[in-house]
Amino acid sequence: MRFADFICRDAIIAKLNAVDKEGAIREMVQALCKAGKVEKEEYESIVKAILKREELGSTGIGRGVAVPHTKHPSVDRLVGSVAVSPQGVDFASLDGEVVHLFFLLISPPDRPGDHLRALENISRQLRDDTFCKFLKQAKSVEDIQTLLNEADTNQFGP
Amino acid sequence: MSESITRNVVVTDPAGVHIRSALAIVQTVQRGKSKVTIAKGEQRVEATDIWQIMGLVAQAGERLTVTATGPDAAAVLDALEPLFAGRFGDEAKKPE
Repeated sequence: MRFADFICRDAIIAKLNAVDKEGAIREMVQALCKAGKVEKEEYESIVKAILKREELGSTGIGRGVAVPHTKHPSVDRLVGSVAVSPQGVDFASLDGEVVHLFFLLISPPDRPGDHLRALENISRQLRDDTFCKFLKQAKSVEDIQTLLNEADTNQFGP
Repeated sequence: MSESITRNVVVTDPAGVHIRSALAIVQTVQRGKSKVTIAKGEQRVEATDIWQIMGLVAQAGERLTVTATGPDAAAVLDALEPLFAGRFGDEAKKPE
């Protein structure tokens, strides 16, 4: 799976304003609403579901990356977005570091395989230090789009 | 005494091995004294690296080979097995 298969380009946020976990999740789901990827009436339900998932254990998986996610019946395919927080957000991460890169995923309840393939893509690409560093330093939505495209065409990594 | 034990496990969690199970695997292995690897086919990863575990894309119904080497190898494998079924700690009796 490539980023282009699940990242909604219109919902990318280059400078996340939020300073806490809930704020970051709300801002990203709001961007997906504005981009027309999720119904506005479902906004609160999706945010609550993602926060409930975080209560089971943080999705801050280290290296300054978090993957907040949920299954939700209102989507019929995997929907995702990316946000960069220049200042970092305390996300109770595995390694205690603040999170600068967010990959938010909403998947249909009956498609667990797509969710796993998106996680594989995210983990494989972000294990590359150069890609991870460049993404954290991205200043605009265009920068982020370019980096995601470059990752999709194997321009990072071994 | 150090021993090496390999067990085949089938992923029965309908969601597969996702972030939460990967994290639980890492934490379980870190609590023990044994070195643990997980393999799917030819792909073998360190069970202390959540990023590598996510790279396996281990879906429901797939077979994994888990190998533990160390003084508590059997105990670590016993603790790991429920995680592939989606049973985590105090939630063991009420799966999602």
